[in-house]
Amino acid sequence: MKYYFLALGTVVVVCVGCAMDGNQHLNKGEYHAPPAAMMGRPGPMVDGPGPGVLPMMGGMGGPGMGAPMGPGGMPFGAPPQRPAAPSTTQIRFVGPDGMQIGWLIPNGYAENQLVAPARYNFFQGGTYRLKINNIPGRDSLTLYPTLQVYPGHPNTEAYLTHNSVPLQLTEEDIEQVESNNFVTKVIYLPDARYQELAIANVETLVSTRLDPGVDPIQEADKRGTIMAVLRMGNMDLEMPGQTGKPMAGTEQGGIDQVAYSVDGAQNQFMPPLPIGPAGQGTPGIPGAMMVAGSGMPGAPISGVNMAAWGMPITGTPIGLNGPPHLPLGGPATLQSHTVRNRSKNEIPAGVKDMLIDVKHDPGYRLPPPVSYIQYTEKHPVYSPGELSMPAWAQGQQGQGQYCPPQQQQ
Amino acid sequence: MVRMTSFIAGLSLLAVLLATGTPVQAQQYPPVGGRQFPLNQMSPPGTAAQWAINAGRVAPNYLQPVRVTLPQDGKVTFYESLERPVELAAPAQAALLVGRMYRLKVTGMEDFPGVEFFPSIELIDRLHPPQGREEDFPIDFEFTTEEFEWAANGRLITKVIYLEQPDRVPTELLERTPRITTIEPSRNVLAEADDLGRPMAIVRLGGRTPDPHRPEPSFFGPGGPIRLPAKVTQASAQQRPDAVNSR
Repeated sequence: MKYYFLALGTVVVVCVGCAMDGNQHLNKGEYHAPPAAMMGRPGPMVDGPGPGVLPMMGGMGGPGMGAPMGPGGMPFGAPPQRPAAPSTTQIRFVGPDGMQIGWLIPNGYAENQLVAPARYNFFQGGTYRLKINNIPGRDSLTLYPTLQVYPGHPNTEAYLTHNSVPLQLTEEDIEQVESNNFVTKVIYLPDARYQELAIANVETLVSTRLDPGVDPIQEADKRGTIMAVLRMGNMDLEMPGQTGKPMAGTEQGGIDQVAYSVDGAQNQFMPPLPIGPAGQGTPGIPGAMMVAGSGMPGAPISGVNMAAWGMPITGTPIGLNGPPHLPLGGPATLQSHTVRNRSKNEIPAGVKDMLIDVKHDPGYRLPPPVSYIQYTEKHPVYSPGELSMPAWAQGQQGQGQYCPPQQQQ
Repeated sequence: MVRMTSFIAGLSLLAVLLATGTPVQAQQYPPVGGRQFPLNQMSPPGTAAQWAINAGRVAPNYLQPVRVTLPQDGKVTFYESLERPVELAAPAQAALLVGRMYRLKVTGMEDFPGVEFFPSIELIDRLHPPQGREEDFPIDFEFTTEEFEWAANGRLITKVIYLEQPDRVPTELLERTPRITTIEPSRNVLAEADDLGRPMAIVRLGGRTPDPHRPEPSFFGPGGPIRLPAKVTQASAQQRPDAVNSR
């Protein structure tokens, strides 16, 4: 019988142990605090400054060189803010040597803006169309990759303010493109647990080296923080007669209407034109909800970042402009405005109650505040004549010289 | 019946042994000395200094002397701002404001011809020397050739300068050159330094240089006042009278 109870007790322990891992009741003496970057925000899915948030995410604008100075050159006012986060990412085109890099500008391409190895500061949060030619051994090949420069992140800020992001086109990359393959290179800063080298460095994931079906961007996002993405194919974007390109005629022999050309070989330079955003949120995940106090960015202000109070909004339920019904200088004539939607739609009923669970795992666990301090100072005891005073403490009496104990009377 | 229950007990015991291995998610950095540190080497530059000011650990108006030493002859430029550089020969000494982050430029080293390095210094604490002798006790920032080689290859080096606990350092080591402990990037260098003593400053060294095509004054940071030692002030007063003392 006792074996039966032993087995029953063991089964209970197993069942309870499967439901709870013991963290709920056992104090393991561990305390958890979120990373510094997370403490700058009120919480998951909530963005912007909130109550109790340390002002660490403040940008430039502290008492820098332009701030008013007090006597002795000391700045007045609040403690200094940390330096502004870098607004640019320095891309370093490592190679191959001699490769010429241009980029899209208004009305065409700026040619030969850089010759590898070279570097350039791209504004963050933008996608740029590059033009790469004069690749050693492939003089006739011209590539038009896109370069996505991701916005800065607290994890990458230290790296980006002190380092450039290396970007290298390898022989294998170019061969893949020539073989009609699409190459995606993701350059990211690995998290601490994924750092493989002794000194922090970036890692590059190339789509052609991953298993089929593996998204290099998702894979890099798991391992660290993405800083730049290069997508490269063999599409020619400057074919004669191409749609969207200004042409005098569509027949063969048409004349391109190019307003002007920018060639770096003639010492002409023009910054690139962003063709789209980059790194703005993750698909399928709603953006963070902005909360802010008065005067902070994100606060709705009537007439500034939202419609003025009382302003009627004229429109139709299907997104088209409605007929004017407020003629200037006369009485309103429109008395009826009807739009009938005859579409046969099968749309499920809307959600009545929405519940979103968010949590930190592990959650905050902090030691209890100090409620008792016992402070005891134990001082050395000397007899007369045993104390040796430092020279700097002698003042005028010692004249700054060392004074042996027997002379300190 | 007994055989059956024994079988169940054995099976359950096996399940217990297997179930005790609860999954543990790795923290970003492991705790040091049983303590978890919110700041680490990947925190945005300037955050540790600002927290030190906000927490009241240091007064924001103290000018702490620092001395930058290079492995060979070279020039060190402190930036009050982009418009107010202060260039000194290495070893270069100047007093910087605690709670600030300063950008430096290192040039003219024979082993790195034509190469410019732009490290940064973030002062998060101060020393307490005898009154009137502050210039005799600067915080030493000693760069090595190996660190510059790493930076030239695109690596980021983060160093935390700390004041050792006087009861933990052997006396015979005090007269030797500064000891540099290299730890893996997966460990929190700020926490390790805090465990060994009192962190004074964070030094970051990488390979980024200003872009001549797109000048970026913010690259040099907000800077702050710089005070030069008295003897340096007298020597350079005739050459650059406007770069001696900050106002």
